[in-house]
Amino acid sequence: MKILVTVKPVADPNTPPAAWIESEQGKSGSVNYVANYFDLIAVEQAIQFKDMGVDDICIVSVTDESKMAQVRSAIAMGANRATLIDPEDRKLGAYQLAAAIAHVVKKEQPAFVLMGKQATDDDASQVGPILAGILGWPQATFVSQIEFNDDKSRVKVGRETDEGVEVLDVKLPAVITCDLRLNEPRYATLPNLIKSKKAPMERLKFSELGIDENPRVTVEGYSLPKGRSGETKMVADASELVATLKEMKLVD
Amino acid sequence: MKILVVAEMQLGKLKPSNRATIRMAQDLAAQNGGTFSMMLVGHQIGDAASELNNFGAETLYVIDAPAFEHYLADTLTDAISKLVKEYGFDRVLGGEATTARDFFPRLAGALDAGMCRGVCGLTQVDGSTCYQRPVFSGMALRTERIHTPIHLITVDPTAMGEPDAGGAGEVVPFDAGVSANEGVQFVELQRAASERPDLSVADRVVGAGRGIKSADYLDTIGKLADKLGAAVGATRAVVDAGWLPNEFQVGQTGKAIAPKLYIAIGISGAVQHAAGIRGAKTIVAINKDAEAPIFKIADIGLVADLFDVVPQLIENL
Repeated sequence: MKILVTVKPVADPNTPPAAWIESEQGKSGSVNYVANYFDLIAVEQAIQFKDMGVDDICIVSVTDESKMAQVRSAIAMGANRATLIDPEDRKLGAYQLAAAIAHVVKKEQPAFVLMGKQATDDDASQVGPILAGILGWPQATFVSQIEFNDDKSRVKVGRETDEGVEVLDVKLPAVITCDLRLNEPRYATLPNLIKSKKAPMERLKFSELGIDENPRVTVEGYSLPKGRSGETKMVADASELVATLKEMKLVD
Repeated sequence: MKILVVAEMQLGKLKPSNRATIRMAQDLAAQNGGTFSMMLVGHQIGDAASELNNFGAETLYVIDAPAFEHYLADTLTDAISKLVKEYGFDRVLGGEATTARDFFPRLAGALDAGMCRGVCGLTQVDGSTCYQRPVFSGMALRTERIHTPIHLITVDPTAMGEPDAGGAGEVVPFDAGVSANEGVQFVELQRAASERPDLSVADRVVGAGRGIKSADYLDTIGKLADKLGAAVGATRAVVDAGWLPNEFQVGQTGKAIAPKLYIAIGISGAVQHAAGIRGAKTIVAINKDAEAPIFKIADIGLVADLFDVVPQLIENL
């Protein structure tokens, strides 16, 4: 059984926001990249499915060569191979990323696609469902539990929703996006990192995929959110806190 | 400009977040010259339609069919897609939630339309309306422009005010022509029973962090919440530890909330959590670590051991 797993290199979430904005605007390149954490959860899940007859895990990533180390660390967790799509210096939006991944899905015909629920830089949370919409496949997002049925034609998933855990029974092939509590991604070991350099790697260029070059959404600018105004009033103990809350009419 | 508000129900009632979405529809219509309509989807909707129809919408499309008894992304997407095409809507708005995060991008894929998620403001750039939304765990705001004829927007319910009251629109039943399919089947919703207010919209919230040390202390946190008529929320650490189910999580990967009073107990105030409480009017922080980042965003701070303070609060409030 073949699974595609998407991996996006993103700026380290600990990067100061001003530095991140500068790098997004191309003013500086001093940002460290890591593999998107939610995507690593997806990779881990694929590897855990090896006991269930999954024998071909292909990582798909839209990235240039400068961020290969992040893709390789994901391969080294236990994937078999990778397909890379070079954006050729374009800033691709969610729709174009999904269209590029759809191109690979149509060619590879996997049993299903596993993805992170969102990338920690754009926080768009869009590529998975857009991909499902383009393909016309069932989707299950924010998944924190997943198991196959007996003949592996369907999966039962638990989704983390505002209302609680929603359990769905989903026909494969499908697009499944992974939430935090699905698993704990393993670390790639050094021998596996070395081995991952020999993993088969297919390289595509975005311009060769026949996708409309016009972006659906563009970035017009960035700003830093306004901090919360005012000072912090420090109180000494519980009774002063209660008195302050009453004075401010926040409690009766 | 023809705007469509996708109104949602949750557990048999209208979602409060519909109101913020309607507010943005009214703003967009006023700024650009246009009208807005609404759609409401469900099964045995009942009075919810008339309750919703008080904000000056041109038309309220009601889709009431067994296929919509439970929310499912594919059937809802098909229904909206049909309505949008049939009536030529060019702006589709919904309230940011785990449902909209699920079906709006699918709609973007189906309609080949640009989408902005969690929009917290509108801004004019070179004469056209652009959308502001938080990115990078809420640490930065980005202005985005959509270039497709149809714009898909989910609205941050904590960022918009109340909608203006208005007349009722014409109620039009719409046959989406969608039946349940075998691709995705609803099995069940596992929900923690609670008598407390809904965390998403509660006026008062007591938030618990890693500092409470064990799930046992949640009883005491609950007593404080009940004393205040508040909902209980939690940080990712508390949910990751399994002390509370995921729907209690407040922050970048959980809920964004905007209560009048938020009491953060044993919460350090990591940026991911701070992103979820940005809309709170007054933040009270109780933490024994005076250096905890939560004090930077708090309006009222108390440096003390929560295990001493919380029982005193329960007694004195």
